[in-house]
Amino acid sequence: MKLINKITIWFLGVILLVTPVTMFISRNNIKKHLDQAEISRMTAVNDHVYKQLLAGGKPDHYTHGRPIEVSLYQGEMPQQKVQVRKENLAEDDMVKKECRISVDSYYPIGNQIYKISSYNFVLNSQEIFDGMLYTVAWKMLMMVLGVGLTARFLSRIILQPFYRAMKAIKHFDLKRGDSKLQLPHTTTKEFQELNAFLQKMTDKAAADYAAVKEFSENASHELQTPLAIVRSKLDLLSQTEIDDRQASLIGDMQSAIERLSHINRSLVLLTKLENQEYKTEEDIKFCTVTKQVMATYEDWIKMKDIRLRSNLDKNVSLQIHPVLAEILIGNLLSNAIRYNNTGGQIRIDLTRQWLRISNTGHPPDLPTADMFRRFKKGNQCNESTGLGLAIVKQICDVNDFSVTYQFEQGWHEVMVKFHQSESPTVADSGDNSREGQLAVSG
Amino acid sequence: MKVLIVEDNRELSSGIADYLTGEKYICEPAYDFETASEKLALFTYDCILVDIMLPDGNGLELLKQIRRDDIRSGILIISAKDALDDKVKGLDEGADDYVIKPFHMSELHARLRAIYRRKKLEGPSNLVSFNEIELNTDTVEAKVNQQVLDVTRKEFDLLLYFIVNKNRVLSKQAIAAHLWGDYTDNLANFDFVYQHVKNLRKKISTAEGTDYIETVYGLGYKFNTSKQ
Repeated sequence: MKLINKITIWFLGVILLVTPVTMFISRNNIKKHLDQAEISRMTAVNDHVYKQLLAGGKPDHYTHGRPIEVSLYQGEMPQQKVQVRKENLAEDDMVKKECRISVDSYYPIGNQIYKISSYNFVLNSQEIFDGMLYTVAWKMLMMVLGVGLTARFLSRIILQPFYRAMKAIKHFDLKRGDSKLQLPHTTTKEFQELNAFLQKMTDKAAADYAAVKEFSENASHELQTPLAIVRSKLDLLSQTEIDDRQASLIGDMQSAIERLSHINRSLVLLTKLENQEYKTEEDIKFCTVTKQVMATYEDWIKMKDIRLRSNLDKNVSLQIHPVLAEILIGNLLSNAIRYNNTGGQIRIDLTRQWLRISNTGHPPDLPTADMFRRFKKGNQCNESTGLGLAIVKQICDVNDFSVTYQFEQGWHEVMVKFHQSESPTVADSGDNSREGQLAVSG
Repeated sequence: MKVLIVEDNRELSSGIADYLTGEKYICEPAYDFETASEKLALFTYDCILVDIMLPDGNGLELLKQIRRDDIRSGILIISAKDALDDKVKGLDEGADDYVIKPFHMSELHARLRAIYRRKKLEGPSNLVSFNEIELNTDTVEAKVNQQVLDVTRKEFDLLLYFIVNKNRVLSKQAIAAHLWGDYTDNLANFDFVYQHVKNLRKKISTAEGTDYIETVYGLGYKFNTSKQ
């Protein structure tokens, strides 16, 4: 629920609660004042009549046409000189809406006690209430409309810095070089605090990100340079007069350097993937990349006498960095070749929803769960760094693909599903299929 | 060929200079941005090797200077960063090619040679020849004794690599990296290299060319020009 709706509802709740209470209080007050005024007036009238009686004048003239009654009172002088009676006379329709107030005043004149009574009709409290109800209904309607409209109108003005700050955060991207959060100026204290906090947080994140990025770049640089030196010196050494034994030693060193530089490069790539550095907004033709990669490995496939069958849909376009696409397919295909038997088979299927690369080969000897972990290898063969599938996994994670592996009836099968939500569910093939690890390549 | 090596690491710089001097190049080192900038202002070079990360500046800035001063040298970037934007930026700034550390000397040399050829700084730019072997880099055609050799693209590249780095021992790793690139993620397809070299030698022999390529046991191969 929107903040402004919540506030509006609370306001309306308060109005609905307070209005009846105030109505009740006003009704009582009005009634009390009306009655009081009438009583005071009638008491004064009674006093006036008494004074006329005292003066010996005939009150007829004054009381004429007024509901005043003068009588002799038999008995003791009452304690209260003025007595008030309120009566509801229900028999008459006209009178029903009113109530009669009688004021009896007792005056001792000589030995006798005179009672002067006057009465009048005042509005019944129910009548006042009915009258008020109409007003209150209008008042409430206007308040509800007023609150609703004002809230909507004000929220545009008052909450605007908040909405703009939210928009700014939404569009904030650490990967952009100029990732400085631009927040609108506000005079509201809370929003000022919020903005200051956001600014501080994003600045910190940007600084951290820059530091991590710098580290990964520096690490790669610092390691690559010594490696380059060793390699250059080995190259120079192999140009000198060397015997077979020395040549073979240099050869071994070259292999080790090769391996080291591959591992380093792969780790740097993984770091960069984790840093989400390979973001792209462009679509590439995944099918074309697949074909290119297949062409690259053609020689190797031919040499191992592997039969490659491919079934690629045309116009498969995906939003992925072209280099990542190449690495993804390359790693999977090179695995499929490396762990294949000589004279084996490879199948590549590509649709708009998924890419599947399957190959024949020995059953895996490590559990499936470990398969995509770093430095996990099926057999400790020298040709592998154990990072190939870890990179595949990371590339899939970055691009919201899912990757699964299974081994069934002599076929290793790696399935990459693009856009997990859209992809149709592919039935798990067979309960008794042996799942296991495809040895990870480097 | 006169080459300026802009590389802050003295050992690597001297390694490169050693190798290139062996190819009769004249090499001058510049260990920092300042020196490189000065040398570029004073002398002319056929090729410039530029490391991106320098202690007192960015190699890319140097490229800007080269372009501003209209220096027509071939430029090869040496980079430890294989961050993609660096490559693209470097090429945008007028670099001709790049190598990523750690590189093989033979690879560096081959790239340098290719830039040199492309810039048409020597002879007929698309022809590379050695004795009876003649390679046309534009048409990807190899001739031995004027007879066209039926070679694949890879075999052509391999032969070119050998001739450019003649009399050098080329490790199997260097050859593999040259032919299949670094990204392929295959650690040393040595059988592969062996297969290609074997095929190439057979084809040259069939065309009655001299079998210059010899095996260096345990290490790689060498294009030996003194072979008869």
